[in-house]
Parts: sequence; C-alpha cells; structure tokens
Amino acid sequence: MKRRFCFWLIVLLCISIADLSRAETTLEKIDKSGTLIIGTRTGSPPFAYVNKNNEWVGFSIDLVEKAILPVLNKKLNKQIKLEKKESAPQTRIPLLQSNAVDLIAETMTDTQSRRDNVDFSLTFFVTGAQFLVKKGGAIKGIQTIAGKRIAAQQGSTNAKIIRERVPSAKLLEFPDQPAAFQALAQGQVQAYTNDGIQLAGLKAKAPKPDDWAGVGEFFSYEPYGIAMRKNDSDFRQAVNVGLMDALASNLYFEIYDKWFGPKGEVPYPLLPETKRFLQMQVVPK
Amino acid sequence: MNYQLNWSILWSGQTGGWLLNGLLTTLEISSLAWLLALTLGNVAGALRTAPIPPFRWLASAYVEFFRNVPLLVWMFFWYFGMPPLLPQALQDWLLDHGAEFWAGVCALGVYHGARFSEVIRSGIQSIPKTQFEAAHSTGLTVWQTYRLIIVPIALRLIIPPATNETLNLIKNSSVALTIGVAELTFQTRQIETYTAKAFEALAAGTVVYLVLCLAISTLMAVVERRVAIPGMIAQGNASEF
Repeated sequence: MKRRFCFWLIVLLCISIADLSRAETTLEKIDKSGTLIIGTRTGSPPFAYVNKNNEWVGFSIDLVEKAILPVLNKKLNKQIKLEKKESAPQTRIPLLQSNAVDLIAETMTDTQSRRDNVDFSLTFFVTGAQFLVKKGGAIKGIQTIAGKRIAAQQGSTNAKIIRERVPSAKLLEFPDQPAAFQALAQGQVQAYTNDGIQLAGLKAKAPKPDDWAGVGEFFSYEPYGIAMRKNDSDFRQAVNVGLMDALASNLYFEIYDKWFGPKGEVPYPLLPETKRFLQMQVVPK
Repeated sequence: MNYQLNWSILWSGQTGGWLLNGLLTTLEISSLAWLLALTLGNVAGALRTAPIPPFRWLASAYVEFFRNVPLLVWMFFWYFGMPPLLPQALQDWLLDHGAEFWAGVCALGVYHGARFSEVIRSGIQSIPKTQFEAAHSTGLTVWQTYRLIIVPIALRLIIPPATNETLNLIKNSSVALTIGVAELTFQTRQIETYTAKAFEALAAGTVVYLVLCLAISTLMAVVERRVAIPGMIAQGNASEF
C-alpha cells in the first residue's frame, strides 16, 4: 500500500513539474536562464555546419547571433548567451515542443501543415528543389526522372512532391545528406534531390566540385523560416523585429554576402525578385 | 503541455497503410536475416567446439570480426562497399531490384549470425562431456555425434537466449533505414514528416514493435515447453504438467 502511494506521488510530481515548466513564456524562460537555446544543423553548409576549424557556424546561426540576439538583449536588458543544440528534420518539432530549444534556425521550410504545430518567423531565405547529378547525366529535371532511382533526404518536402508527381520514380530516402551523396557518388542512385541551395552547398564541398551539376527548374517553393513554439507571440515578435531590422538596414545583405557572395562558402547570387520579396516583408516601425 | 495530441492521424489518409507496409518490410527483412543468422550461427557455433583446430580458428575469426564492428558500419559496407565488387550487369540488376533490402538482410544476418554462434556454442559446451563420449562409444562419427545428439540438445537448451537474439535482430532491423529501407521506423518518421505529429507517430511505432516482440517471445515460450527434454531444462516446471 505504502509503495503504491509512493509510486503515484512520484507520478504526480513528474506531471506537476512538467506543467510548471510549461507555464512560462519563452521570453520569461530566456530571461530566467539568460540563455537562448537554438536547434540547428551540423551538416548543412552554409546555413549551419561545423567548419574546418571545428567551429559551429553558418548563415542561419549568424542571423540569430547578429540580428535576433541584440533585440533580445535590449528587450530583457541583459546579455543573453547563445547555446546551440543539434536538430534534424525528425527531431526539430519535438525539440521545440518539449522546451529543449527555443527556436529552430537551420533550413526548415515553412509549410501549412507545420504551421499547425509550430509558428514561423518571416521568410529569411527562398529556394526550391532541384537535382544533383553527375555532370552530363541523363536527368535534366523533374520531367525526366520517371523510372529512375532518385535519392532524397527523409523528412524533406521534396520527397513528398516526387512521390505525388512522379510515382514511377524509384525514390530512396536517406536520413542524412552524406549518405544520400555517397549513394549518388557510387551510382546507387542517378540523382539526388534537395533544395537547390543545399545541393549548391554539397557541390561546393565535394572533393571535385566540377564532377557534379545541379539541374532542373525549381519544382517546389521552399521558403525558409525560423520555427518557434506555437502561440507565443511576444517571442515571435522579438524574432521578427530582429529579422526586419536586419533586412531594413544592410545587415542581412552583409551576412548574405559573407556566406553566399562571390567569395563566400557557397556562391549563390541573390535574385533581384527574391531581394524585393524579402524586403517587402518588412512592415513600417 | 501545450502540445495537442491528435491520434486520428494514425488512421486517416495513408498513414495506416504506411505503418502496415513498414511492418511487412520489417517482418520480411527480419525473417530472411534470421534464417541467414541461424544458419551461419549454427555452423560457426558448432565449428567453434569442433575437435579440429583450423575449424575453430576459422569460426572464431568470423565471430570476432563480425560481432565487434557496429551494425551501422556493416549496413554501409554491404550497401556501398559490396556492389562495386560485383559484375556490372548483376550490379545494375540489383540496384533496380531493391539492393538496399538485400544489403540490409546480409548486414543483419551476418552480424547476428556471429552473435547466434556464441549462443549455440554455449549451448553445446553446457552439454556434459559424457554425452560426446557415449555417442562416440556407440560408434558415431564426429559429424554424426553433432548432427544427431549434440546440436539437437543444444538447440533446446538455448531457446531463452536465442529468443533474446531474435528480438534484438527485429529491433536492430531499424538500422536499415540508414540505407533507405522503408521499414517500420522509417515509416513512423515518414508519418512525422507528413503530419508533423512526432509523438503520435513514435507511439504507434513503439506499440507495433512491442506487440510484435511480445508475440514472438510468447511463441518461443510455448516452443520451449513443447520441445523440452523431460529431466533437462524444464525440470523445475515439470510439476505443472
């Protein structure tokens, strides 16, 4: 009897602790701990990856550090530390919902179904799905993949689109980019599909970049956003103000140039219409 | 928690079909790998106790090499490392006919074969030496002694640890998702991708694994009782019958 009572007491305690941590907003949580915890990638150059010097860096991380963190510092009136945790397509939403991280800053596409579970910031990058093939390969775009073996990253929106639009393609899904690229390099698959910018990053990092070609028109629209817990508008406002300030000043484009400019990690010129779209998201002060 | 559980995603749309497909693939890959593992394990386990030294060395080399390298590495080896060694025509044929599935079967089967062999060896070594001597004195050869006396007894003795290995094999089959095999864990991730409902998808996967493994351990318990040799391992339970 006593043992059973103890058991239920512990269960009750666990539940109440879980409930208590839920009660506070993200801003309160950051204020209390003095730390902003972000979920990000280790292998998605140049958005978030571990570089040659073993530093965890990238475009998405820079945006958080240089654009969003200052807003939080000002709002909470103290120096907020940044802590990075690894996230993956399968873990990022649970990480947010379990309070393990405060925001997801990597290469997460904003979609309607994801908005059922998390909130997104403004769009901070725009790309679309393409294919990476061996130079001179037969695949030229989504029209030419019927019956072919195509690799995709599991948990990505691209795999979903291929399954719906070209069901005859033999889709092989790998949990991460290195395995998918290995399969392409070995000929296990004839093309690897992912967001164009990620393929450009992969190509730039490959031992012989000239052996590979990114082909095809964008067959999907992939607006990247920063994901946050649902229904926490004060925190979302802080994140959006950070992004808007960066877009309105020159900060965003400086960071863009650092990673995607001619001398950046992955040269990827900003199209004029994309630039216009990004800037038009900024609302007046 | 401000997370809204929505269990209906598990039976609405395609998700139910995916889970079923995943379960079938898990069963297929596990049963083929199990047969391979049992065959390899039996041979290697028996050879490790054989009175002929080169056989023992060979079997020990197999066991130590294959069980001491992580399964994930074996998956990559069979998928990425093996095909280039095959003739081009066979390679192309395999790639169009689920190379990842067969690579997964080989990786799981050979890896668990090494582990099974240890289970079988311990079964054989637990048989009193007098059994060997008795068999020998009735005029049986070494091969006959193993085939007719030792292995049949050993197989009965090792049912509990072999059940353990079998359940491990089933759960380890999820590692095959790293080379793109669409088994059960893969499908639960798929559901998460489409619905963004991670907790429900994982819970469904957990329940399916649990039910599957419980069914197998129950079945093995029945087998254990049925094939028990009276007076040997089932001694303690004899009064129940």
